Amino acid sequence: MSPEFLNTIEVILNGLMAGVMYSLVALGFVLIFKASGIFNYAQGVMCLFAALTLVGFQSGQIPFSHLINAIFDTNLHHWGSGLHSVLAILLTIVVMIGFAYIVERYVLRHMVNQEPIIMFMATIGLAYFMEGFGDLMWGANIKSLQVGIPSGGSLWWEDLTRGWVTEGTNYPGMYIDLLDVWATGIALTLVIVLTLLSRYTGTGRALRAVADDHQAAMSVGISLRVIWVIVWSVAGIVALVAGIMWGSKSGVQFSLSLIALKALPVLILGGFTSIPGAIIGGLIIGVGEKLFEFAIGPLIGGATENWFAYVLALIFLMFRPQGLFGDRIIERV
Amino acid sequence: MSERDIGDVLLQVDSISLSFGMMKVLDNISFDVCEGEIRSIIGPNGAGKSSMLNVINGFYHPQEGSITFKGETRKQMAPHRAASQGIARTFQNIALFKGMTTLDNIMTGRNLKMKTNLFWQALHIGPARQEELENREAAEKIIDFLEIQAIRKKPVGKLPYGMQKRVELGRALAAEPDLLLLDEPMAGMNTEEKEDMCRFILDVNSEFGTTITLIEHDMGVVMDLSDRVLVLDYGKQLSDDVPDKVRNNQDVIDAYLGVPH
Repeated sequence: MSPEFLNTIEVILNGLMAGVMYSLVALGFVLIFKASGIFNYAQGVMCLFAALTLVGFQSGQIPFSHLINAIFDTNLHHWGSGLHSVLAILLTIVVMIGFAYIVERYVLRHMVNQEPIIMFMATIGLAYFMEGFGDLMWGANIKSLQVGIPSGGSLWWEDLTRGWVTEGTNYPGMYIDLLDVWATGIALTLVIVLTLLSRYTGTGRALRAVADDHQAAMSVGISLRVIWVIVWSVAGIVALVAGIMWGSKSGVQFSLSLIALKALPVLILGGFTSIPGAIIGGLIIGVGEKLFEFAIGPLIGGATENWFAYVLALIFLMFRPQGLFGDRIIERV
Repeated sequence: MSERDIGDVLLQVDSISLSFGMMKVLDNISFDVCEGEIRSIIGPNGAGKSSMLNVINGFYHPQEGSITFKGETRKQMAPHRAASQGIARTFQNIALFKGMTTLDNIMTGRNLKMKTNLFWQALHIGPARQEELENREAAEKIIDFLEIQAIRKKPVGKLPYGMQKRVELGRALAAEPDLLLLDEPMAGMNTEEKEDMCRFILDVNSEFGTTITLIEHDMGVVMDLSDRVLVLDYGKQLSDDVPDKVRNNQDVIDAYLGVPH
C-alpha cells in the first residue's frame, strides 16, 4: 500500500473518532428535544459543569471556597487529597440528577404550554446561570482532568501499520490516539444501553410515549414532570461523559461549553428528533471536516475545520431541512 | 336496557364554567354519571362537548365549579392524577403513539400498574420481570377482546383509521378504568366499523361494568346506546334526560335545525 493511501485511511479513522465526540454532545440535545420539544442551549454548559464538578470531587476541592474565604476571611481550599475517580464519577452523576430535579422544579414547571421560543430563552438563561454558578463553586482556572483513560498514540498500531507500506518507502506508521479509541468505545456502549432501556423497559416506553404525544401520554397517567426529570438526568449523564472525554483531551475550561456549537451542524444533518441521526450526523461531520482539511485545506490556506461543518449544515438546510433522519415537517394548510 | 344495574353517582359535575379569555366555552354545567351507565353528551359543533371531557380528565381547569369523582371533590387536577383515580379516555383526533406498535401502545395504558423503578426494569430480574409479564398478559387479553391480534406488532401510524380508533380504545381499556371517556369514537367510520365499535362499547359496559361517557354525532347510535343524554349548545345546558325525552325536546330540535337565537 502506498503511504498516501494509508494517510487517507488515518484521516478517515481520526475523523470517525472525532465524529463520535460530536455525536455524544448532539445526543444530549436530541434526548431533551424529543421528550419536551425544547432546544436546550445549556447542553454545552452542562458538559462543562459536569466536568468541573468531577475535577472538584477528584481533587478534593471545597465548593464555593472563594466565596467563603471572601466573606469569612478564611483560607479554605481543599478538604483532603480527593476521591477515587470511580467514586467521584458516581457523585457527579448524583449531582447531575439533582440538577435535573432543580431545573424541572424551578424552571420547566413554570413554563408548561409556553411557546418553544420562550423555553429556548429560558435555557439560554439557564446556561449563563450555570456557567457563573460553576465558576463560583469550583473557580474559573483551567483544570486538567485524568480519570485513568490511557492517552497518547498507540505504538502497537504504529508498528503494525508501518509494515503495510510498500518496501522502500519511508512511512512512520499510522497515528491513533488511545483516548479517542476509548471515547469511541464508551460512546457506543452508552448509545446501546440507552437504546435497550428505551425499547425494553416500562419507563422507556413511557419516554417514547411522551416523545410521541404529550396529551395522550398524560391521559394514560404518565407524569410529564417525572419524565422531564428522568430525561434531564440522562442528558446530564451524557453531558458528563462528553465532558470527561473532551476535558481529558483539552482540559476543563470555559471553551468546553462551546462544543455545543459543534453539535448544531450535527443536529441539522441528523435531524433533531433522531438518536441514530445524531450518531451518523456526527460521523459525517467528523470524517467530512478531516478529509476536507486533508484534501482541499492545503490548496486554500487551511483552517477549514472551523467552518466546514457549518457550510455543510447550510447546504443541508437548503435541500433537506428536517435532516437525514428527522421527522418530516408537514404543515397542514 | 333497564335490566342492567345502574348504581350510585360516580361522577358529579357541579356548576362548571370555563372560559378562554373573553370566550365562554362552558356556562354553568351540572350533571351526574352513575356507576354502570352509558351517558352521552351531544350538541352541534362548538357546543363545548370536548371541553367538558377535557375538564373531567384534568386537561382544562375550569374557573368555576367542581368535580366530584368517587366521592372526592376537586377544583383542579393534573391529567395523570385523574388517570390514577380511574379515568381513561380516547381523543377526537386519534392520539396514539404513532411510532410504536399496537402492543406497545396498549402497554402504555398499563403505565399506572407498573410500580417497579427503572433500576429493576433495566436489570430485568425479580419483581420487574414478574410485573412486565403480568401486564403483558393483561394487554394480550384486551387485544383478544378487541379482535386485533393480526396487528399486534404493526406500528399504529400505518393502520387504517378504523383500526387506529380501536387500538386507542384498547389503550384506554388497558388502564382498567372506572370511567371511560370516549370523544367521538365513531367519527369518520363506515357503517360496518360503526357497528363493530357499538358492539365493543356495549360489551365493555356489560362485561367489565365500566361506566362510559361518550360524545357522538350519529344520533341513531346515541339514542340506541345511551341511558341518558346531556345536550349542550354554545356552552349552555339545553337538556338532560333519557333518549326518548331528548328526541322530542323542542329546544334540542331547534338547536340542531338552527332556529335563530
